[in-house]
Amino acid sequence: MKAAGSSFVSNVLAMAFREGSVLRHDRAFLGVVTAQPVMMLLLMGFVLSNEPRDVPWLVLDQRPTPASRALVQDVLATGYFLPPRPVTSRARGEAALARGEALALLVVPRDFERDAYRGGAEVQVLLDGADPLSAARVGGILRAAAASFDPTRRALPARGRASPAPPRGPFDLRGRFWFNATLDDRDFFLAGLAGMLLTNLCLSVTSLGLVGERESGTYEQTLALPTRPLEMVIGKLVPHAIVSYGVLAIALLGAGLGFGVWPRGSVLALLVLTLPFVFGSLAIGVFVSTLARTSAQAVFITVFFILPSFVLSGVLLPYQLMPDGVRQVGALLPLRWYQIGLRRIVSRGGGLDDVAVPLLALVLFFAVMLALIRWRLKPRLA
Amino acid sequence: MSLRRLATLLVREARATLRDPFTVSVLVAAPLAALLAFSSVLSTEVRGLELGVLDASHTPASRRLTTELAAGGTFVVRPYATRAALEAALVRGEISAGLVLPAALDRDLQRGAAGTPAEVQVLYDGAETVLAGNAEAFLEGMIGATGARLVTRDVARERDAGARGAPSGPGVRVVTRALFNPTLDGTPFMVAGVFGFVLSFLTTLITAVAVVNERLGGTFDQLQLTPATNVEILLGKLLPMGAIFAFDVVLMMLVAGFAFGVWPKGSALFFVAVSSFYVLTSLAMGLYFSASSATAAEAVQKTILASVPLVQLSGFVFAPRNFPWPMPWVAELLPATHYIRVSRAIYLRGAGPLELLPELGMLVVFAGVLVAVALRSLARRA
Repeated sequence: MKAAGSSFVSNVLAMAFREGSVLRHDRAFLGVVTAQPVMMLLLMGFVLSNEPRDVPWLVLDQRPTPASRALVQDVLATGYFLPPRPVTSRARGEAALARGEALALLVVPRDFERDAYRGGAEVQVLLDGADPLSAARVGGILRAAAASFDPTRRALPARGRASPAPPRGPFDLRGRFWFNATLDDRDFFLAGLAGMLLTNLCLSVTSLGLVGERESGTYEQTLALPTRPLEMVIGKLVPHAIVSYGVLAIALLGAGLGFGVWPRGSVLALLVLTLPFVFGSLAIGVFVSTLARTSAQAVFITVFFILPSFVLSGVLLPYQLMPDGVRQVGALLPLRWYQIGLRRIVSRGGGLDDVAVPLLALVLFFAVMLALIRWRLKPRLA
Repeated sequence: MSLRRLATLLVREARATLRDPFTVSVLVAAPLAALLAFSSVLSTEVRGLELGVLDASHTPASRRLTTELAAGGTFVVRPYATRAALEAALVRGEISAGLVLPAALDRDLQRGAAGTPAEVQVLYDGAETVLAGNAEAFLEGMIGATGARLVTRDVARERDAGARGAPSGPGVRVVTRALFNPTLDGTPFMVAGVFGFVLSFLTTLITAVAVVNERLGGTFDQLQLTPATNVEILLGKLLPMGAIFAFDVVLMMLVAGFAFGVWPKGSALFFVAVSSFYVLTSLAMGLYFSASSATAAEAVQKTILASVPLVQLSGFVFAPRNFPWPMPWVAELLPATHYIRVSRAIYLRGAGPLELLPELGMLVVFAGVLVAVALRSLARRA
């Protein structure tokens, strides 16, 4: 047996080497590393979208006139809607909404044409509140389309209105969307992609790996070595951290080459920010493995950490809109801070000084996790 | 098939499940945790968005505009002294939008009464697409209304008889009303979706892990040596698990009702009946995953891989309608898509069996196919 004074660094390196050669032969692990980024890239790049598309809607035109038809054409011209299905009565329209066949019912009143020329015309829109997110968006689109509706535009082009858009009051709002001029959802999802991939990777690999070792008995053998628990934990983390940077590179290159979403800010800042996040997530995995007795238990705990992470952190949905309490719970997740930093660097072109707060939060998180692991490992090693 | 043998198997399965405290706590805690985590994250209500204001004019009009923007609670106004400070805050994501009031605002407003509106610049943080869209909709409405008040006050003083303030001119006002959910609250939508999530994902995961572990432990082979037929073994597994998850459904309904005030608008009994039937589908899928995997880790990996489309494609969070072709059709191939649709129809629109006949038919088809597949994979193992 070696003396207790064996060097910290060489012990860590030895553990790292051992862990690395185990990883290299783990086919399931290699599958996770390669298949998952591709699948997520395709999902986030091509599929996911909050933008309404092909919205089914109904029109109850109580007296068809050129003006009411022009209004329907204006709504169709926004490009979000399917051709409307006409209904003959309000009751039928509401029944179709109740069956979920359409998202909106536009009711054009009898006097619509007269009012439209006079000014102050009004139409009614019934929305399917069962799908609140889509309903809110569709309502907004309809409102905007109707607000700029002008019955004279087609009927009397000779009048020659100077401005195509109606004056909207005493203020002329010149809005500009920074960082993402067309408000493409894809940019939002792809910016957070690396965070989702790394969470999946780091948590599942360490938690399953450690418990698996305990089940097969190799963990006890490692314990018999003259390594201290902290050396062992860090040694186990290092190869995973290296793989994580590989996954980060895949995510960045994939988003850039496939969808043209390259990081706008400092890549160095991104690399620095990733380090405490990866270590923090790996540490969660290690901590889970100290709690779980079987790999089945490890899986459950891991899965029930990953899922809320995705939902509460803000990678998929804006955390700013979540109610108090839920938002604060989300702030305890490392993914929350990592995605804040990712968006600052990738979308908004920030540098190292812009991500100081998320960086600090991630380092703090890692420190707390290390302390927790030490506390859990002690009784077993005494 | 012998009822006595089946009863023995049922008792055995129930005992085996209830003996493990971890499984029992997962069965109770996980659905409730999912309910609490997911139910309140989707919000259409915009509150407390950070709005940076650069007020270069320092006039009563600009101060009035800022206080009115802050008054509604939609925006929290943060003043910035320079344009550079405002832009830096936007990069760091501290504000969702920046409003630049020009030095000549007052003069422009006076002139605005004569026809040319005062120009106000707004910079939105496009990196957060949903927030930016919301902020735009609210700012345009609020600034328009406030501006109209500012000007009509001035104009009223001049007693201009033109009645410019009346809502005349082109443009159609839209009166919207959301059926089934007037406030467009996201909670019932998510609660109804969580049932689909829990009953699809958790059920499959628990079944897959339990059966693989049993196979690894050798007890499954012992079962197959007994006179029990494959159908009996299958039912002996499915029925107790199904009963537990039916209990979970009732538990979740009660928690959603008492904690969030979300009760089904339709028949609760009908909902429990449909849900219990749907559990069969997920259980069969879990059996299939476990029968086709060599280790617990492999079964878990298959389940988790299957859960990605479940969360992203089934309509749990993102509406499949908004996906590009052919993804909406792919979503139709997932049983969870149909179950979530049924669950939302019952919970939010109060739909009954007649309206849901096509969806229920799809669920029956899925259950039939998956149970047949699970049976075959079991038979091959024998």
